[in-house]
Amino acid sequence: MPSSDSAARPRAPRRWLIALLLIAAAGIGGGVITLKRLAFPEPPQTSPASIAALPPGVTAINGAQIQPRHPGMAQPGGPQDPLAIAAANGDPKAQEALWAQRLTRATEVLDHYREHTKYPFDSRPAREHADQMYPNQPVREEGRLVNPGQKPAPNVRIVSSQERIYVAGNETVLFTVGAVDDTGSALPLQVSRAVALDPPKDGKPSQRNSVNLPFNDEGNAGDAAAADGTWSARLSPATQGFAGHFGVIRVELTLQVGNQTGFKFFDVFYTPDPPATWIGGVREAIEAGSLNFYLKADVLRSGRYVITGRIDDAKGQPFALINFNSELAKGTQDIKLNLFGKLLVDEKPAFPLTLRDVDGFLLIPDAAPDRALMARREGKLHTSRSYPLTAFSEAEWDSEERRRYLEEYGRDVESARAHLEHVRRSMKP
Amino acid sequence: MKLKQLGWRKIALGAAAVGLGLAALAHATNYTLWVNGRTGGGQLGNYADFTYWGPAGTAAGVNKKAVNWDGYNSISNQNYLVRNALDCYCTGSNWCYIGAHSAGNLQVGYTLAMYGGSSRTITNASPNSSGVCGASGTGTQTGWNIKWVDIAGGAAGGSELADAGSWALSEPLVSDLKTSTSRAMYDHNQTRGKIFYMFAGAKGTLYSGILPGQDDEAIAYHSSGGVSGSSGGSYCNASDWFCNDLTMGTAANEGGRAKWTNHNVQFRDNNEAYNHYTNGGWGGIVSRAVADMVANAQ
Repeated sequence: MPSSDSAARPRAPRRWLIALLLIAAAGIGGGVITLKRLAFPEPPQTSPASIAALPPGVTAINGAQIQPRHPGMAQPGGPQDPLAIAAANGDPKAQEALWAQRLTRATEVLDHYREHTKYPFDSRPAREHADQMYPNQPVREEGRLVNPGQKPAPNVRIVSSQERIYVAGNETVLFTVGAVDDTGSALPLQVSRAVALDPPKDGKPSQRNSVNLPFNDEGNAGDAAAADGTWSARLSPATQGFAGHFGVIRVELTLQVGNQTGFKFFDVFYTPDPPATWIGGVREAIEAGSLNFYLKADVLRSGRYVITGRIDDAKGQPFALINFNSELAKGTQDIKLNLFGKLLVDEKPAFPLTLRDVDGFLLIPDAAPDRALMARREGKLHTSRSYPLTAFSEAEWDSEERRRYLEEYGRDVESARAHLEHVRRSMKP
Repeated sequence: MKLKQLGWRKIALGAAAVGLGLAALAHATNYTLWVNGRTGGGQLGNYADFTYWGPAGTAAGVNKKAVNWDGYNSISNQNYLVRNALDCYCTGSNWCYIGAHSAGNLQVGYTLAMYGGSSRTITNASPNSSGVCGASGTGTQTGWNIKWVDIAGGAAGGSELADAGSWALSEPLVSDLKTSTSRAMYDHNQTRGKIFYMFAGAKGTLYSGILPGQDDEAIAYHSSGGVSGSSGGSYCNASDWFCNDLTMGTAANEGGRAKWTNHNVQFRDNNEAYNHYTNGGWGGIVSRAVADMVANAQ
């Protein structure tokens, strides 16, 4: 029966085979040409004249110029890079220098990526993210006393702080402001006007009335010390007229130092209602050679959540920044924060480790504001058990993304090296 | 007979698979994407409109494209335009070099930090009139294919001109450019391993009273040099004895403050020769990034 079946349609497989072989031949042909170009590159043929104008052979898709991917083509257009121009002029030494430069760049990029991605992007040494390790420290700034559009006042600097930028629910924000001269000596300051408002935006007026936000230097309402020259005020959006307001709250100040005045403002981004709420504590588990921390949340609004936690070692030293950035559906969800095995093996932190200062938000694509905050979990959240380092894997991170990048970067290095060798060979008498 | 037929089929299928793979390699294309800063000007979604930068015929890297956003609304509001461009040209077998100017730095950094690990549809690199490319039918991938990034006059650390109200505060982007806001917007260290080569200009004089340290007349070195932290600071060329040096490369700056991870100062304007502005001709500090693209984006 099988033979009769094949006998009934004798020509179909042949056509099929021929079609496949033609596809293969075309593909192999194109591929061989590409491989040949990579292995036996031709030196750039572009003339100086072509640098000043678009090449006629460039095809266009939707009005955009397309050139095939072929390293070594000099660029059309203006005279930006002397080395490239000299190389395009056929100067062998310039070509050698150009390809040496390209090889250096390609090698730097490859080496950097390979080293950087030993650990996954969501589990990183603290030193790489030093400015993310203490998210609840106030933001301190210093600038000139100035009014918009005017020259700054000479020898007067405004020193300010705000407790946080992103604010959720019943959180409050402490603001401070003081004045110093260029030597750092305190100057007498008056805050003559201070209001909190929903700022006008894009031609649209404020949606709410502004509220007075009195600053004081009398040791009250968050002011650390009376009469020290630093004025303070605490904003409580939920109780000061911004309940239900999702967006920017701007605090505007009019300042006076002696007979000079200036303007200062702070912005905070307020989320009145969280998109997800935390449930319970933290569970830890060693899985696939890593230490994972699981947090649980009741997700009220589905979408991409960005959750960040900080890890300290037993001595209280910052050790790692761990991150979750993925889609979550509605309902009770586990959020995994991965502390990568090789990071533990390489850095040898003293156990137990502490997970602290976890914050997170729902990322709202293409909108402003772009995030709805979950309640921050400030301070120590969880202390791990103690483990021997042998419990963890020494293996580098592996993923399709990493392999894709290492392969491409490796090709770039080999291509640049081949071009450089070709140029050098052609320079020999 | 049957075995023989099956053998030929396998050979043919294998050859076709190899052929298609090599064909894909042969059709791989590199692109150079330029992401504009404040004011914009180019038609949104038209990757051939270089109005913001200068003449479209200027060499600025292989297969250059203009990633136009309006340069007025907030970074997050306009970010879909950047993601659309990356989906178009930086997926599948295609790879990208990225150039960005001023607030374009925030756009690129925000994109990578927030969406750099998201699943992306591999597209056909053929955009419609809105700048959206169709699916190629070859599936999805994690993140985009980006070789490296050149940043000219980068505003990822904000500008004191926004802090001081020198720019219209009702402009949504100006709110984003307030130094404390820019720096809190996303984790600037998270570039997913891509190097950000920083080009910092220092020909600023007009706002030297407001912008700390060296500046290009809009952006101070603390931002254009990728200096980390939740607020700005005063950084200068090495010749200035009264101000901490912005160091070259990835090293911590004088005074000890680190650069954002993966940020590499490639050009520091020791001769105070480059301002912030393109002047309709890929000018100012942008010209240094363009030269780097021309030399290295192949």
